[in-house]
Amino acid sequence: MNASPSAAAVDVSGVSKIFNPGRANQVDALLDVNLTVTPGSFVSLIGPSGCGKSTLLRLIGDLTSSSSGTITVNGKDAAHARKDQDYGMAFQQAGLFEWRKVHRNIELPLELRGWDKAKRRARSEELLRLVQLPTFGDHYPWELSGGMQQRIAIARALAIDPPLLLMDEPFGALDEMTREHMQAELLRICAQTRKTVIFVTHSIPEAVFLSNQVVVMSARPGRITHVIDVDLGERTNPDEVRESAEFFKKITEVREALRGAEGGHHFGVDDR
Amino acid sequence: MSHFARALRHRSAQIVPPLVWGALFLFAWERFIIWRKIKPFLLPAPSAIWQQLKLNRSGIWQTAINTGTNAVIGLIAGIFVGLLVAFVAQRFEIIRALIAPLGAALNTMPIVALGPVFYNLFGSTSDTARRVVIGLVAFFPVFVNTLRGLTQVDPVHTELMRSYAASESAFLRLVRLPNALGFTITGIRIAASLSVIAAVVVEYFGGLQNGLGSRAASAMKLSATAKGWAYVAAACALGLCFYIFAVILERLAMPWQARRRAADRA
Repeated sequence: MNASPSAAAVDVSGVSKIFNPGRANQVDALLDVNLTVTPGSFVSLIGPSGCGKSTLLRLIGDLTSSSSGTITVNGKDAAHARKDQDYGMAFQQAGLFEWRKVHRNIELPLELRGWDKAKRRARSEELLRLVQLPTFGDHYPWELSGGMQQRIAIARALAIDPPLLLMDEPFGALDEMTREHMQAELLRICAQTRKTVIFVTHSIPEAVFLSNQVVVMSARPGRITHVIDVDLGERTNPDEVRESAEFFKKITEVREALRGAEGGHHFGVDDR
Repeated sequence: MSHFARALRHRSAQIVPPLVWGALFLFAWERFIIWRKIKPFLLPAPSAIWQQLKLNRSGIWQTAINTGTNAVIGLIAGIFVGLLVAFVAQRFEIIRALIAPLGAALNTMPIVALGPVFYNLFGSTSDTARRVVIGLVAFFPVFVNTLRGLTQVDPVHTELMRSYAASESAFLRLVRLPNALGFTITGIRIAASLSVIAAVVVEYFGGLQNGLGSRAASAMKLSATAKGWAYVAAACALGLCFYIFAVILERLAMPWQARRRAADRA
């Protein structure tokens, strides 16, 4: 991968985020964070609870503002990128609107951009095929399982075809089997759509399986301590990958990085 | 089993038991009056109340219309003002801060008890005082619930709409309003029942003698107990009508909820 700062999908430079500055309950959520994400790469943010990984993701998405430093998304500042909808977002809760059928949930971002009805529906059909739920458009969200709802949320995030996906523990609320299945699905979707992904997770195997880069963070203050490159190839056979020596080697590497970051302890991180 | 047959079986399972218990209760009541030789002016038998209902049906019908009209007008006014104030309070935090505690305080007050005050204010020879009381009673549940629905938006939805760079008006239309709908309907359902109670009870405090409550009270005073009970029974029926209206409204306004209930049944 050839990374030059101007061609970066996301560039975070000298970013700090301090909650309640100058007060007794001041929290240094992030301190001098630097991160460059190359286009088309899959980057996971991992670390103990309170290390600021979700905050970092929200800063990139301009859902909150930084105390200092600069964030560039797709060559623009984060606020501008948000207004141009240069990214799609998925959260731990699918966050579907219960009063809208699946189609209308996926179509919402398109509706806001003024797409006409026929075009919206065609796009929604296309996305439902992509997430392999082609017949569920006219269902209400509660009629779908948690894993299916999360797929709809991913389809919605992809609706306007943004170059970047920001995902905040999207599989955190799913059971282990569904979770592994969803990971493989996400890889397939990303390969098909060539997205850049920034993915927050608590799970070491999830981070290793999905990523080109695992970014390890530590808490109080939130900092990036290690960036570990991973190359597991195409991963067309997920089970084989999950049983490979390279997979376990990387898991160990990330775990040790996390231990180092926590000074001998690590908590709040799943070994799953 | 067909969808229709299942729905029918479900309906009858819902309706038959209360009907059976109701009939048993009336039967026991009737037998108890005869067995203990209870004097009719103390507690009339259901058959005697039924006689009175038949005998006074035109009078009961007319007074039910009068009381019902008051309840409808008060309810509609209460809903309208409740919605309006909720929207204003949602929009302006300062108003919310002012109204919320006041609303909570007023909500604990038995507003019907203000009947005599309003009779003095608006005159006891018109229905205005009653309609104001009913409107006030209906206002609170609609206001409190709607405001809750407008302000308690899922944080994920808030962040999502921000990520779409949605305008404030789009957020109101696409998230706040549909989110508030369920809350508002709940408020209206409560208000519908309360408005009939208020309409009947406020008549006990005086004013025109043209409603179910006034007639029930005066019949009781004249020891025409069975007749009084007939008016009370009519008031119950009126309340039921309002409740059914609210339930139908809920079904129509929130099709996604109706479908969910249908699925829960199956």
